[in-house]
Amino acid sequence: MGPKDWEDDPLQNADYAKYPFLNDVSEFIRRSHFDFEEFDRPEMKDIVDEAAKRIEIEVDGKVYPDLDRFQKEVWTFLASLMMVKSLGIESIIRKYALFEAMRAENFLADDLKKIKDQNKIHLLLLKVFEELFKVKIKADHDDMRFYKVHVTDYLKRSSHFHEQEWKLINRMVNDGYVFLDAEETVRLFRNELSALIYDRVKAMSIASLPTSIKVKVEELRNSLAPRYEYRTYAVTEYPPCVKHALEVMGRGENLPHSARVMLATYMLAIGKQTDEVVELFKNAPDFNEKITRYQVEHLAGTKGSRVKYSVPSCEKLRNENLCFATEDCAGIINPVQFGRWKRQ
Amino acid sequence: MEKAVTENRNLEVVRAAFREYYFRQSKMIEIPEGIEKREFGYMPFGQGMVRHISFKGPGEVLAALVREVPSDVYCSNAYYRFPNLPMQEKQWLGADLIFDIDGKDLDLPCVPSHSYPVCSNCGHVSAPSESSDYTCPSCAGKKAEWVSIPCAKCIDGSKKEAKKLIDFLTEDLGIQRSAIRLYFSGNNGFHFHIDDESYRMLDSQARSDLVGYLSGIGLMAESIGVRKSPGGDLAYVKFPKSGLAYGWRKKIADRLKIDNTSTIRLTHLVQQKGGFSAFQSEIDAIARQAGVRIDPQVTTDVHRIFRMPGTLNSKSGLVKKRCELDSIDSFEPFSEACLLGDSRVQVQMKTHVRFKLKGESFNISKESAELPAFAAVYLLCKGLAQVA
Ligand code: SF4
Ligand SMILES: [Zn+2]
Ligand SMILES: [Zn+2]
Repeated sequence: MGPKDWEDDPLQNADYAKYPFLNDVSEFIRRSHFDFEEFDRPEMKDIVDEAAKRIEIEVDGKVYPDLDRFQKEVWTFLASLMMVKSLGIESIIRKYALFEAMRAENFLADDLKKIKDQNKIHLLLLKVFEELFKVKIKADHDDMRFYKVHVTDYLKRSSHFHEQEWKLINRMVNDGYVFLDAEETVRLFRNELSALIYDRVKAMSIASLPTSIKVKVEELRNSLAPRYEYRTYAVTEYPPCVKHALEVMGRGENLPHSARVMLATYMLAIGKQTDEVVELFKNAPDFNEKITRYQVEHLAGTKGSRVKYSVPSCEKLRNENLCFATEDCAGIINPVQFGRWKRQ
Repeated sequence: MEKAVTENRNLEVVRAAFREYYFRQSKMIEIPEGIEKREFGYMPFGQGMVRHISFKGPGEVLAALVREVPSDVYCSNAYYRFPNLPMQEKQWLGADLIFDIDGKDLDLPCVPSHSYPVCSNCGHVSAPSESSDYTCPSCAGKKAEWVSIPCAKCIDGSKKEAKKLIDFLTEDLGIQRSAIRLYFSGNNGFHFHIDDESYRMLDSQARSDLVGYLSGIGLMAESIGVRKSPGGDLAYVKFPKSGLAYGWRKKIADRLKIDNTSTIRLTHLVQQKGGFSAFQSEIDAIARQAGVRIDPQVTTDVHRIFRMPGTLNSKSGLVKKRCELDSIDSFEPFSEACLLGDSRVQVQMKTHVRFKLKGESFNISKESAELPAFAAVYLLCKGLAQVA
């Protein structure tokens, strides 16, 4: 577990500790010839415990805030990857990846705001955005608070956000670049960072699990799995668009906002109770019971504007690429009509 | 004479003129880059669209044009691995960014004075009229299609939009002037093709956001520093920390005569308007005014086939003709894009018309006239005359 020989590197171990997914860190692990069995050594107990705690906190929908020294961070990250991999529960992998991404996002925004050394900023931008995501981001030399992202790199990501302030027109744009502050710059890459961590978990191959990790995995399984038992819904009579949304949800993947609205309004329209509808969203990686409940109540018209929202029309869904029509959809203009023709 | 027979004779005359063009003027045809990855399509005269065609090289395209003599020719802005397979199997590899500015979408005041109602029922053509009510004098039908003979003001209107778009593209989006290819659409507007690889991989959603930017849709008052106070319709001013120096913020700031020190002036402006919502509506209106009128569908559809440069437009018999950015002001589409021959054609007029083509003014009030082919074809394409 020797330190990496990056003495003349402006980025030091303390910097790398925050970003254990960087290529340089993977390279460091490779070169250290670390044997997974070493996790069974008594001095590693802390690390293994910490890794399990980290997963529990993240699955709970919170960012794990603590930051230790480089070696400890690297092995904790590695141990947590192994645990999540062995648990093998899709929704947990996604949630873990999302909150690991958000954790790194906090550190990165902070670094981009506080570091004054231009070389160091430049290197950080290179290591994170260019090496991992193939995107060149420049510091704005006229104003240190801002970063310049090429319009097309910006649009590829921002167009999936729903908030009006991410629309290009509400951004400072000049000569092909969008000017973002540190938080906005890292926020733009949250999905990719989370996908990167997800892929790391997926790509991992573990020949045999060290006992210490195996024990933790079983503990985690007992405490977490009941929440993630595969919920199966009687989806057979739902229209294809709704079925598709439920399947995506069942895999623990993120559903776009418009698809969530469609799913919730449809379920309400066929007479499901708010509780049942909220329940459907439990598998979402960013699930937050309070917010979801509020939103569902809003759509049901029991909160807020007191307007009951209707199910979007097939045409609207088609335009949003949410329609997966089959021949059974013939002649209907709204998903709620699905199946009615046949029954008559 | 039977209607169908006249129709056929009209098509024959137009087709003959088109054939001559494709035969003699093949140097005008601009073959797009990456031809083997593009999908081509065309309309045979009097028939439906033929799509999903691919060509290996320029020679094949030119040969097909002379052989088929289509009424309209299209080429995808998209690149595909298998351009000739059905859409689901094509494998999309990206698409050039394109824009369409159409004179008819500009709400120009001159339009009614040169729009001819053509009865949807019997095809009778009436003289332009300001009234939007229509009753066919021949069959009393109530439905008509308006055919426009664009005037110089229409073209100026489109040019103005085109110049606005060029400014947005070069100043805000940083696109090189040399990467912008501008064309007269062949009827009443302009087409833009952008040769900038960084825009190729944008999906439809990203292009739609870009359209919003260029058209001035969705600009929040907050972007220029006017924020809604919690509760009520009051507002307070807090300028964005990235300032107002560029892009939309600058455009709006210039129009309101403010900069990021004008807190008092801006607060006052909002009060004058009557609160946050009213000010937001004002911003919406200014932004629409300053934005470019582009057809959002054309830019956001990444599987479209778009009129191919250098080919004829069957709505007019004019060519989709390249216009250099620097000579846009002096560009005269009705002479420079009018490239058909001048053999004489005898036509029967359906109404009185005035127009100018190839520098020649036509003012036809007779029932029939002998016209040079380019002018006869123009009227035949518009449906305002038929072959005698
Ligand atoms: S046609 Fe309507 S009901 Fe069928 S999948 Fe599409 S949106 Fe859903
Ligand atoms: Zn009529
Ligand atoms: Zn006009």
